[in-house]
Amino acid sequence: MKNKKLLSIVALITVFALLLTGCAKGGGGGQAQGGKTTITFAHWRPEDTEAFKKIIAKFEEQNPNVKVEMTITPSANYIANLQGMLLSGEGVDVFTTFPGSQFETIYSSNAYSDLTNEGFVKNFEPALIKAGQKDGKQYAIPYQLVYNIPVYNKALFAKYNIEVPKDWDSFLKASETLKKNGIIPIAFSIDVSPQQFINSMIMNNAPEEDIFQKLEAGQTKLTDEWFIKSLGALKELKDKGYFQQDVPGTKADGALALFAQEKAAMLAAGSFSMATVKKQNPNIQQGLIAPITTTEDKAVWKGIHTSTFMLGINAKSKKQTEAKKFIEFLSNVDIASQYANETGQMVTVKGAKYSTPELQESGKWTSVKTRFQPMYTFKKEEIKTAIVTAVQKIQQGISVEQAAKEAQIEVDKVIKK
Amino acid sequence: MKSRRILYLFLLPALALYIMFFVIPTVAALGLSFTDWNGISSNIPFVGLDNYKELLKDNIFHKSVGNNVKFTLVVLTAQTALSLVFAIFLMKNSKLNVVYRTVFFLPMVLASVSIAFIWMFTYDSNIGALNVMLGNLGLAKQSWLGNSKIAIYSLAFAQIWTHIGQVMIIFIAGLQSIPENLYEAARIEGASAWQTFRYVTWPLLIPAATIVVALTTIQSFRAFDLIFVMTDGGPAYATEIISTFLYHNAFINHRFGLASASAVILMLIIAVITYTQSKLLASQNKGM
Repeated sequence: MKNKKLLSIVALITVFALLLTGCAKGGGGGQAQGGKTTITFAHWRPEDTEAFKKIIAKFEEQNPNVKVEMTITPSANYIANLQGMLLSGEGVDVFTTFPGSQFETIYSSNAYSDLTNEGFVKNFEPALIKAGQKDGKQYAIPYQLVYNIPVYNKALFAKYNIEVPKDWDSFLKASETLKKNGIIPIAFSIDVSPQQFINSMIMNNAPEEDIFQKLEAGQTKLTDEWFIKSLGALKELKDKGYFQQDVPGTKADGALALFAQEKAAMLAAGSFSMATVKKQNPNIQQGLIAPITTTEDKAVWKGIHTSTFMLGINAKSKKQTEAKKFIEFLSNVDIASQYANETGQMVTVKGAKYSTPELQESGKWTSVKTRFQPMYTFKKEEIKTAIVTAVQKIQQGISVEQAAKEAQIEVDKVIKK
Repeated sequence: MKSRRILYLFLLPALALYIMFFVIPTVAALGLSFTDWNGISSNIPFVGLDNYKELLKDNIFHKSVGNNVKFTLVVLTAQTALSLVFAIFLMKNSKLNVVYRTVFFLPMVLASVSIAFIWMFTYDSNIGALNVMLGNLGLAKQSWLGNSKIAIYSLAFAQIWTHIGQVMIIFIAGLQSIPENLYEAARIEGASAWQTFRYVTWPLLIPAATIVVALTTIQSFRAFDLIFVMTDGGPAYATEIISTFLYHNAFINHRFGLASASAVILMLIIAVITYTQSKLLASQNKGM
């Protein structure tokens, strides 16, 4: 009997021990076997996995005492995972973020290490890494350069003798020609396109770059002329039938497929989608096109750019030296060029060399007067959502005034908070 | 007496897990609902009841509650009725019925994200099977997920398709536990099919129905993955429900406090509805 009781107690203790072991924090990426230091690198681009694997292998070859573990979470869930990793203190060492509200939140939580005095900062184009600065200090370094303007099919434009439009009238005329020839002028998705396309609509209707900061400060409203005109331009395109049928029911993949299958001549996305389109249709010739909503002489801006995929180091990481080494490695021009050419994404590193036709095409835009994406200048995500929702409502057939009014109600709520 | 103590000790692992994975997160959510935490910062400002006051005035939250109620009612009514009908037809343990039951249950073993993609393709307005079928019949195509008036019902249908097999199995188990001699007695008394169902089957099926109703209500109120993947609450909040509202506020707007307050409200709604349902069904059972 005694033995049985003893056995029971031992069994209980074993169960508890197993539970505790199971619930205990994992390795955490500290000192790995063989004296190696393991750093974790978190980002949201599964499409970059192979390219990063090769780059990491090179890094580990040059730095035999450092091992890099890559954690990839698709962008929809990325911030949720990142929050968890940052909360656990040492859950992540090097991580990426979007500019704007995501950067602001992480900065205000003191989760970034200061990179201002690191030598590798000089490897980047100074104008393209401003999105990662705060109070004169560099906390994150944008690695990718993206143009947030529609992609167009060069062959289709040539087939119907359409020149790249330089003002609103010629943009409408080009769309009409395409429509008459049975081509969908613009493929527009309800999830990705609203945030991308509205930038082009706004850029010359509100040319001042701090327009959304003014909106957040309550100094301008979405019911003001600049936004009404911007939504009005979008509404005009919708009313004239220049988007595919059922935009509200079309997701990003569907819109991209319409463009890749050459059923649509323009895709309301950005340079980031060119590599995926190319995979679906290797023969397609792509270019970038910025809808100008004014006359050519009044167009202050010719396009939109964003420097994103911002590399940062967790302030709580105990492996600061190794983490910095990794970012320094990524800032090497050869490595950055390798990354760009294998992923189809332009980079912010000085002197990067592009070998694919799509990157060379995007590269032409570096000499064009483009403006930083207005939608990434918000500190509060709710305001961005209000604008995206206004665009979605236009696509659902709601009037410009009503959509703008409802969006401003949401903005007012955020300002009051 | 001592051996009893040992037996209580055996409860400890389960209790520890319950405390760790249910009690602590619930208490933490309640605590966080009184803060304006952004989800990362070590600074967690206390704001008292501000989040609850904000939710009371927030029209998007109101819309998400309304959508959730609509979604739950559609799923609860249609899924319970259909699964009961299927259960009655497939109750007997014939080989063919076992095959049918397996087919109905199959969606339950698929990952919810896979189901979401299947339905996204089915509902696609250009290439989706549903619109192709409508087109072949000469009927107008629909924007199943893009039209704000029908999107929530399209999602409810996908939810029903996913869970109907599970609910049907519960009803079949309930039906099979009813003694055959009661049906024989009803037959001898000359009861019609409806009277047999009304006075024999249904009263004895109430325990199973209670489980079904509670399970469906909870599943529908907590539905997240299907909606998140298929519409993400859109277009323009037409399919936003409390769980997607919660997610958007916690992980997109970085407002964990507000998200926790909505989680507390969701928990209370589910608790009140489930309690009321079980009381109603129990009273119906007593009245039989």
